[in-house]
Amino acid sequence: MSQHQTLDRLGRSGNPIIRSAAFQDKVSASEEKMSLEGAVNKTGILLFLTVFAATISWNFQGPLISILSTLGIIAAFISGIMTFGFYFFFVGWIVKPRPYNAPRTAPIYSIGMGFLIGSMSQVAESMYPGIVIQAVSLTFFVAASLLIAYKTGVIKPTQNFLLIIFSATMGIFLTYIANLIYFLFTGDNFIIFTGNGAMGIGISLFIIGIAALNLVLDFDIIEQSAEQGAPKYMEWFGAMALMATLIWLYIEILRLLMKMRSR
Amino acid sequence: MSYLTIFLGLIGLLSAFLFFYLLKFKAFSKQTNRGNRIRWKSYIPYKNKDSDKSKKSS
Repeated sequence: MSQHQTLDRLGRSGNPIIRSAAFQDKVSASEEKMSLEGAVNKTGILLFLTVFAATISWNFQGPLISILSTLGIIAAFISGIMTFGFYFFFVGWIVKPRPYNAPRTAPIYSIGMGFLIGSMSQVAESMYPGIVIQAVSLTFFVAASLLIAYKTGVIKPTQNFLLIIFSATMGIFLTYIANLIYFLFTGDNFIIFTGNGAMGIGISLFIIGIAALNLVLDFDIIEQSAEQGAPKYMEWFGAMALMATLIWLYIEILRLLMKMRSR
Repeated sequence: MSYLTIFLGLIGLLSAFLFFYLLKFKAFSKQTNRGNRIRWKSYIPYKNKDSDKSKKSS
């Protein structure tokens, strides 16, 4: 909003405080800046889109939905890379992060991932009734607990914390990729991912722990960007990062519960 | 539906409400006024598409 529009809306005042340059700067400066409230609203929108897409892929089966789901997942993957970038050990950034893409990519990402978790959840629910409600509840319980721990300063993300979590996350994603390649050749998964023994459950708990600690980093990105007056698109970026972690956490909790129920 | 599912469902609803409610508030100063915070700006620079394009053309 320009200063003229602001004046038209508020009216030209004789009050020296309102007329002061400092106040006018504050009004114009706050227009395009990120806010915590905005990031929360965007997270709500993305969550709604994810649930909406998940409901579609849960309820409607058939070739059209399969094609839509596959396209959605590919689009989500590309959107994720276009926004968060692509980093590889020893090589560095293959694709640099582009947060300004988030307002366009975040809804695509959420819908695409919604299709994925919808079909996954439907399969899990048909095998173990009630498991989806439990997984969703535990996801929000973990997220709320970590949010309280972050806001109150119990967990303080530092540079070392970031290095540890980033390395662990990269390690997990490399294992996922190796598992995918193994699956394409053999049609089977690594036993550590699917096994319901102590090792399999331990690995799941470890991955859930790392995913949960990634939430702390997301909270810190949102908090710090809002504090520093980052551009408005950072609201979408923060919300997208939060959604990506929440979806990952949900999938891993669902897998853990499936392993425990199959024992 | 088992009692465990109903119980966890209620906890989930409460947690989701709490999550979205608390996310709006600023963190305690204990969290924000520290010298060893992560400098996110150095990892995720706030720039726009045009500045990326001009960098490429130069």
